[in-house]
Amino acid sequence: MARLALLIWSLGPMVWQLYTSLRPTEALTGGLGGGLGGPGGWTFAHYQQLLHGNPPFQIYLLNSALVGASSTALTLALAVPCAYALSRLGRNASRSLSLLVAAAAAFPAVLLFLALLELARNWHLANNLLALSLPYAGLCLPLAILLLQASFRDIPMELEEAAVMEGMGLWQRLRWVLLPLMTPAMASAALLIFIFCWNEYPIALTWLSRSDLLTLAPAMARIAGSSVYTIPYGAFAAATVLGSAPLILLMLLFQRQIISGLTQGAIKG
Amino acid sequence: MTQSLNTSTAAGLRLRELSRRVQQQTLLDRLTLEVAPGEILALLGPSGCGKSTTLRLIAGLDRASSGEIELGGAVITHLPPAQRQVAMVFQSYALFPHLSVERNLSLGMELRGVPRADIARDLEQVLALLQLEGLRQRRPAELSGGQRQRVALARALLRKPALFLLDEPMSNLDAQLREDLRGELRTLLRSTGVPVVYVTHDQHEAMGLADRIAVLREGRLQQIGTAAELYNTPTNRFVASFLGNPSINLIETPERQLGLRPERLKLAPAGSSCEAGWSMLEGTISHREWLGDRVITHVQCPGQGSLKVVGDAGQAAGPVQVRWRHEDALSFERDGGGRLLPLTTRSQ
Amino acid sequence: MRWKLWLLMAPALLWLLAIFAAPMLHYAWLSTQAETVLTGLQPRPVGAEQWLRLWNDARFWQDTWQTLRFSAVSVLLEMVLGLAMALLLHQPLRGRGALRTISLLPWALPTTVMALGWRWIFNDPYGPINQLLQGLGLSGVPFLSDPAITWLAAVWADTWKTTPFVALLLLAGLQNIPADLYEAAALEGAGAWQSLRRITLPLLTPYLLIALLFRLAQALGVFDLIQVLTGGGPAGSTESLALYAYLNAMRFLDFGYSATVMLGSFAVLLVVAALAGLAFQWSRTTQAEELR
Repeated sequence: MARLALLIWSLGPMVWQLYTSLRPTEALTGGLGGGLGGPGGWTFAHYQQLLHGNPPFQIYLLNSALVGASSTALTLALAVPCAYALSRLGRNASRSLSLLVAAAAAFPAVLLFLALLELARNWHLANNLLALSLPYAGLCLPLAILLLQASFRDIPMELEEAAVMEGMGLWQRLRWVLLPLMTPAMASAALLIFIFCWNEYPIALTWLSRSDLLTLAPAMARIAGSSVYTIPYGAFAAATVLGSAPLILLMLLFQRQIISGLTQGAIKG
Repeated sequence: MTQSLNTSTAAGLRLRELSRRVQQQTLLDRLTLEVAPGEILALLGPSGCGKSTTLRLIAGLDRASSGEIELGGAVITHLPPAQRQVAMVFQSYALFPHLSVERNLSLGMELRGVPRADIARDLEQVLALLQLEGLRQRRPAELSGGQRQRVALARALLRKPALFLLDEPMSNLDAQLREDLRGELRTLLRSTGVPVVYVTHDQHEAMGLADRIAVLREGRLQQIGTAAELYNTPTNRFVASFLGNPSINLIETPERQLGLRPERLKLAPAGSSCEAGWSMLEGTISHREWLGDRVITHVQCPGQGSLKVVGDAGQAAGPVQVRWRHEDALSFERDGGGRLLPLTTRSQ
Repeated sequence: MRWKLWLLMAPALLWLLAIFAAPMLHYAWLSTQAETVLTGLQPRPVGAEQWLRLWNDARFWQDTWQTLRFSAVSVLLEMVLGLAMALLLHQPLRGRGALRTISLLPWALPTTVMALGWRWIFNDPYGPINQLLQGLGLSGVPFLSDPAITWLAAVWADTWKTTPFVALLLLAGLQNIPADLYEAAALEGAGAWQSLRRITLPLLTPYLLIALLFRLAQALGVFDLIQVLTGGGPAGSTESLALYAYLNAMRFLDFGYSATVMLGSFAVLLVVAALAGLAFQWSRTTQAEELR
């Protein structure tokens, strides 16, 4: 019973969007009598409208994917060495640093947008998708560091010492012993970072203005504010469905890694 | 034993006044000892006694606060671990879980730039020696405890070390296997011809494996010698109580403490008279432990607590007399715990 | 060895300083500068003028109140519902893994996407909720056009999205509680409610605290949801501090004052986080005394 309630609570709004996106506009606004099961049949018109729009909707998804991927790579490149060092640092130093990092993780990113906007303006980084990775990496670093640090701690010290006794230097130990053991944790972290970047709004909103460079989040907001769609709920819903689908797919494919990433973060945080 | 794995060096291992202090704590206090090539030295003591610290200092995993480590005639105190020619077998074996047995063994050599042909040759040799040929593709998780230990030993052998360090390598095995492996391990370690330092908290392991045993307590060396020396002529009460199973009985006399090995005690009918050169205590049998080859009788002696007597099955209950030869009693200072010379020697 | 570790950390730490600390310092400077259309978007020092303006800015205080109200109610709801959801997801039932994934979906979706979705769901009269109410013969609710109600609609949407996150954090905590504690309690004759009160809640405290502080900080910075769902309306009744700061910069092109509002919001955040931490500490000690 409780499980059913949970399912309806979680999926209901999404199912409603899917339903709406497939219904003709007149059926939605009661032109045909309204109601949930009202007549009017099904239509793909809303999707066609989106996919043949200017720019076509899928470009937003591609932009988001590109920003997500490059930000994830940059974040991991910065976070892995830092997390390693943090996990090998003395307890006190590591404690206080972790606390600062945790505070940064909780910090609402929106409060940074103005300063970052000036950064973009001064360094001519606006309307550059790859440059968006610079602030994104900064925003994702705290979470990534905390997660990876916890996993580095889980690797027994003796394992690394055995590698030392085998004559391996720091780089060799990371490359051949530690990082292979960190793969699951890095996958979890990468997924969470990717989701964050995919969803990020205020900075994308202020850094990107060219419509063909928008990522999904500001594109959705622009669609919401546009008057192109006169009675636009079918199109809105189709946009939400298309915007949600990649992430739902990602969640279903990598549920284990994402959930373990989140819970790990909680336990060690 | 194959020659190529034999890397004996003329001079062995020497520790001189080796100390490690962390903040206010002294983990190891001026330890001096030597291990000859081909000799197995066990570092024995309770946890926190400094035995693992010693091993880590020799390995170079921790930094010595003062003192010197010399190996094969060269001072290695400040060399990084990789340059010390030292191999170590860890308590957990520390096998790389993501690599097969073969890769576990070869990775270090590959990264050290050993030629491929040499790696293959050495690998075959050591796999054969430790009977690991059939397991070369397995992951550590797919191995039994004993097999893991052999892989760890193989990895250490492949380093062709000038010194072998082993940190409680038996503690992850069950009791039966431990006893079975002791002989094998001893032969293998001996055959390398290099000094071996073996850390354990298990006195049986130390006595069964090592040529000499160094007993440590709270960072200080208590005594170093053969098992028999430690057992028969301990320098103090701590060494006397740490070795021997069941442990030594301690009884109070007006001027000193006497240590009585359970197997040197005899039971006699209560109230029987004592011969010359013997002492005795009267007591009551509280219970007996039957261990198959022997029986431990616990005798409650008024004012002295319970004494353990090892011997054949005898009387099961009731009053009894415990007696011992004067020369079998070890005497200790009441306060310091240092051993006093036997009365006979002292009177001369 | 030590310096090597610091060297490894340096890039990430510097990056963090650049992204988190530098903006705050920049705001501190910018809040003493007028940078508007009137100054040609060039900074001109004005001293504490903008801080005085902030102090006397009714809209800032109204937004503070609205942000606090939104945060308090939605975080409270998320904690309660999140705990219930975590307990449900912790039960060893069939299909638990799938249920966990499904219930986490709302959290993974972009806020702007679902905010747009909620706009349609809350629509009056065509949204499903109002359709349902009308079907039952009740009158529709103007979710997005009545200042007294709209903020609750925002709370609703926020709760829907972030409860799964809280639930998962708490689930991690639940999984860390050894099962034999419950068995021992059951042997002592403790019922389900007592187990929850005497074992689960005390041992979950650190997780509750983390979830509370994290969610509170995020809720006080609420922006995406409000901007897309209501745009701050109706009549500014849902405008949050972050949205106000955003509007100052992007609509009124008053960058200096935007920075001042930004710092003001940050101050509010710090005060609330400190109070929440203290309150939590206090409830913990009283709880401990009670148990004694």
